[in-house]
Amino acid sequence: MGADRVSGLFWLVFGLICIYGSVLLELGTFREPGSGFFPFLAGCFFSLMAIIVLLRSLIPGRGFQAKLSSLWEGLNWHRPLAVGLLMLGYILALERAGFFLTSLILLFFMLKWLEKFPWWKALLIPLSASAFIYLLFHTLLKATLPMGILGI
Amino acid sequence: MDFFSSLMAGLSVACQPHNLLFCFLGVFIGTLIGVLPGIGPVATMSILLPMTYGISATTAIIMLAGIYYGAYYGGSTTSILVNIPGEAASVITCLDGYQMARQGRAGPALGIAAFGSFIAGTLGIIILQALAPPLVSVALKFGAPEYFSLMILGLIILIFLVEKSIIKALMMAGVGSFLGTVGLDTITGVARFSFDIPEFLDGLGIVPMAMGLFGIAEIFVNLEKTIQRQVISTKITRLLPSFRDWMESKWAIVRGSVVGFFLGILPGGGGVLASFVSYAVEKMSSGTPGKFGHGAIEGVAGPESANNAAASGGFIPLLTLGIPVGVVQAILLGALMMHGITPGPMLLKEHPDLFWGVIASMYVGNVMLLLLNLPLIGLWVRVLRVPYAILFPLILLFCLIGAYAINNSTVDVAIMLFFGALGYLMRKFEYEPAPFILAFVLSPMLETALRRSLIVSSGDFTIFLTRPISSGCLILAAVLLILAAHPAFRKRRRKMLEEAR
Repeated sequence: MGADRVSGLFWLVFGLICIYGSVLLELGTFREPGSGFFPFLAGCFFSLMAIIVLLRSLIPGRGFQAKLSSLWEGLNWHRPLAVGLLMLGYILALERAGFFLTSLILLFFMLKWLEKFPWWKALLIPLSASAFIYLLFHTLLKATLPMGILGI
Repeated sequence: MDFFSSLMAGLSVACQPHNLLFCFLGVFIGTLIGVLPGIGPVATMSILLPMTYGISATTAIIMLAGIYYGAYYGGSTTSILVNIPGEAASVITCLDGYQMARQGRAGPALGIAAFGSFIAGTLGIIILQALAPPLVSVALKFGAPEYFSLMILGLIILIFLVEKSIIKALMMAGVGSFLGTVGLDTITGVARFSFDIPEFLDGLGIVPMAMGLFGIAEIFVNLEKTIQRQVISTKITRLLPSFRDWMESKWAIVRGSVVGFFLGILPGGGGVLASFVSYAVEKMSSGTPGKFGHGAIEGVAGPESANNAAASGGFIPLLTLGIPVGVVQAILLGALMMHGITPGPMLLKEHPDLFWGVIASMYVGNVMLLLLNLPLIGLWVRVLRVPYAILFPLILLFCLIGAYAINNSTVDVAIMLFFGALGYLMRKFEYEPAPFILAFVLSPMLETALRRSLIVSSGDFTIFLTRPISSGCLILAAVLLILAAHPAFRKRRRKMLEEAR
């Protein structure tokens, strides 16, 4: 399927959900617009645009006709995916394991596993970076960082 | 207060030790990220926004503005030495700057870029100072319908200037406007689309959203490719341009400053458009257009002056009307609102220290940049050699902790990651994030202005057409949309964009 057809369909479905959600809030009247009035207008507007994108994708030579698979052809698509998953893991572990440990593990994985750095670099860079960020945010800017099992 | 006493009052604010320190930090970080390809001013400002919680609004804006115009300075270094623009506004500098470097004239190219930027930045600030107060008095006469139509016009101009599909840009503006309504309705107090998540009651934060859409998405896209840089290795000597260089560049700098400033005021215009237009102007007005692309110094001086003047111009609508013209200004607006300050015509009256302090800090910042850029070029060249494999994990960690520190909540970090993934897919599917974020920022103001206008007019939509300023804005917006839809214009626009690339 073409890229525009997929994205147009996605935004149309999202738009219809938004319109439904806006109707559930109060639309009000033109004299006294309710809470759902503006989101309803915005939802209708971008759904209409999504329909245009979708219709254009049906005409050969119009819009962005690239096939879905070609968007990632010849690219290291697994790298952003791996980093995204690592970040998701970081979010889930942050408040349980604490800032220092999770940051150390995240950076270590990126440098050793993804970038194939030698052991000493893959340990030294995360250690010094985590310590620097801890000092900057916790000590200097007085931000509260999650303290986990290590107490930092 | 007259012009001179306002400037003095501003300078007294800008020259306070802590403001000087943050101004320096801003221009230093700005130059640094301008030098580094793969991270732009928008991403950096978004990442550093949470750090400004602990400082005053004036100091925060001074630092963030420093990052913005500092990045334009730094961007030229990579364009000239590596033929990779540090950020979009320096793309055109590659054409002649890199050629000059290959001919052994990297020093004068870097020098004229720094001097041109300084002169243009200063000229831009002088025009900003002169134009801001009269514009404020006009803006004070605006009512809800005028604001609504002006914001619609701003969005349409931005959409008109996007690189890719205008329909998709309109769609993104719609999605941004919708997402801007998440949270408590300010008029009725009803919670909208918050799904019982307490963090959503205040709305989705601009900071994690911008960090995701610009910072994280940019890293994801860069990770797919192998970034290789080849730095010009010859020793850079003699940074000061010769008398002949000055003679050849003087009018390019003046023209670039004027063109840049006025294009900077336009929504979506900014430094990128200004630098391209300035290059075209220089090529057209030159007696020897053939030398452009082969190391013409005017091809460096004009665009580099234009993008810095545009940085000053972009402040006019933000400081006087409270309307951001681009993503950078949207982030500055977010920063002001985070500190409880609403930009607009009342800003000059209610917070003159902030208004004039920020303007005066740009003078100071420009002097710092000139002093910083020339002697530190050796350092920037060394920075360019830091591998991206080390840089990106550090930037990511900074983003993660920065997003967490906003509200001490992982919800903000999750929002950042979500919009990072969305921004990455948007780039893949050729959707531009700029109309999205601008509409998101404007959405609460747009909604309030629309609802107030309808209440005042008892539901009569013609209120937007019967008031002259409002109808003028809407007519102009309609003309732009009709123009954009016209096949002949579309063809010409596509050709222009291809040439620009």
